[in-house]
Amino acid sequence: MLVTRYPAEHDERVNDLALRLAELDPQASAAVRVVGHFDSLMTSRAGLQSIVRGAATLAGCPVRLVDPLRRRTVRVRADGVVEAPEEEPDAAWPSAEVSADGAVLVLERTGPVGTVEAVVLERAAAAAAAVLARTPSRGRGHDPALVEMVLDAGVDEAERLAAARRLGLPAACRAVAPWGGAGLVVAAGEEPPPGRRAGIGDVVAPAELPASWAAARLALRLTAEGTETDPGPRVVSAESLGALALLVRAADDEPGPLPDVRTLHRAAGTAPWVLATLAAVVEAPSLRGAARLLQVHHSTLQDRLASAEAMLGWDLKTAEGRLRLHLALALRRAARAEGSL
Amino acid sequence: MSLTSSAAPAAVPVDPELAAVLAAFAGLPPMTAEMIPLLRRPNPMAPTDADLADGGRFTVEERAVPGPQGAPEVRLLICRPTGAVAPVGAVYYMHGGGMVLGDNRMGVTEPLAWARDLGLAVVSVDYRLAPDTPHPGPVEDCYAGLVWTAAAAGELGIDPDRIVVAGTSAGGGLAAALALMARDRGGPALAGQVLMAPMLDDRNDTVSAVQMAGHGLWDRAANEMGWTALLGVDRGGPDVSPYAAPARADDLSGLPPAIIDVGSAETFRDEDVAYAGRLWAAGGQAELHVWPGGFHGFDTVAPQAQISQEAQAARLRWLRRQLAP
Repeated sequence: MLVTRYPAEHDERVNDLALRLAELDPQASAAVRVVGHFDSLMTSRAGLQSIVRGAATLAGCPVRLVDPLRRRTVRVRADGVVEAPEEEPDAAWPSAEVSADGAVLVLERTGPVGTVEAVVLERAAAAAAAVLARTPSRGRGHDPALVEMVLDAGVDEAERLAAARRLGLPAACRAVAPWGGAGLVVAAGEEPPPGRRAGIGDVVAPAELPASWAAARLALRLTAEGTETDPGPRVVSAESLGALALLVRAADDEPGPLPDVRTLHRAAGTAPWVLATLAAVVEAPSLRGAARLLQVHHSTLQDRLASAEAMLGWDLKTAEGRLRLHLALALRRAARAEGSL
Repeated sequence: MSLTSSAAPAAVPVDPELAAVLAAFAGLPPMTAEMIPLLRRPNPMAPTDADLADGGRFTVEERAVPGPQGAPEVRLLICRPTGAVAPVGAVYYMHGGGMVLGDNRMGVTEPLAWARDLGLAVVSVDYRLAPDTPHPGPVEDCYAGLVWTAAAAGELGIDPDRIVVAGTSAGGGLAAALALMARDRGGPALAGQVLMAPMLDDRNDTVSAVQMAGHGLWDRAANEMGWTALLGVDRGGPDVSPYAAPARADDLSGLPPAIIDVGSAETFRDEDVAYAGRLWAAGGQAELHVWPGGFHGFDTVAPQAQISQEAQAARLRWLRRQLAP
């Protein structure tokens, strides 16, 4: 065997290797070896841990890769052993940017940065960036930080697109706003999580996801629990709203709830059947259908509608009256979700 | 496992981390007999007695003990744990170097690391090297040192029932040979044999030898150089002793338990795997590790690499089981 391992201390081992190598091949400079090391890692598509280990071995100190967005830290000691960090990085430690979204590579040492350390940082960061760029999709679809980024209109488009690549998003996708949960992104043909109360955004290109997200959140305001006390659809798709979306936004600009909404809200408080009955009338294709939905006799429904008409002050037997009711129900849900009711 | 076709199969790819380290060796001249003097130059990084003592953990001494009949004395490097209250197990270690180079401090840090963890003594033998000393000189030196160590166990504070032989590469072949010799000659009872990428077969014609020619740090040509230094024109012929090349042994029964490890991307892969298979076939006990993408000496050249750490850990676990008092 050509190279022998001597003292037990890892740093010396590395130095030993370097020394013997320099002895055998005086032309090979340390920097060239570092470049060759990371070139080789990249060629063989080595993973992040191998890259961080290479950096730690060549720099002779612990090295960590901190990737706040993907909530991942890889830390390897100079002897190649993986060890979780116990302390926050020291601001004085030399570091290099791995990705525009905040991943950095840090050498855990103080003092001036020599040529070898500088080349290690530069080459290892480039190799790690290549890994991050090619390991996007699988298992990351629900990375909340990346999803949050891709939905946020306040984030620079280039960064949103970078996040979309890492999430492995297809050319057509849409935002989903689940009730009481963080936003999701699903492919255009993909079903949103079943059974979950949610608003579904429009199908868009990844760059337009903030708009899809806004639409999904608006659609979410129009959902209900789907119970007797909170009747209405559990899932609302923005694409089904048509002009209703405009109305909701217009109503938002009003100082308070619209008069029809206030009236409906008052009526809903008078008896438990009111809201469920009105929702069924809007949902079902006919009054008979509504009676079946509510599991009441047709004449009972007629009596209830008469009382409701009296409370609301408009006719529910006409198409116009039912449309007015439909809008009032929807706007009430939207106002309630906003907390203005 | 001989090759039936003349075309060499594609080489096994080297593990990515190991390949990056190996890249540093690109452009080195091939290992030839002419390089032996260059490679034998004193190593300025060789561990001193103080390094080996590891802050007083070990008592370190060099001893010249009787060699084989009519041969010079053999130098043993003896490292014993200080303050041991009961006899300790011992690793009788043989360095690598293709039979042509190295000394009893080369590679000794690994058995010393085992000794630190398991409370063992380490005895490393400075056997004479080929081609200056052809077979059987080197292996007889090793055997003489082993016999002395076992006989001096009481004086050294070693438990004679817990001596394992261990070796790296050429030293692994020597360790396997010592197990055969001790069996055949009624020598010391061994508690195990640690064969790290052992050099076992002078025929040098397995699939892996052919497949990995031109790759790594000890390829088929280097191997031929080493065996030829040891055996001269007899290399590969009909009359090679199993004490020179343990793969030549007809009978592998009655040997101590073995751990054999080797890389999948090296010359010795198939002869080492075959040796493990023959130990089992003979009713013996062996643990075999083939580390994927490992080139010859990977765990020594790149001890930090993930699979090097795992190879080292596997040996330590085996020794712990084998030498538990």
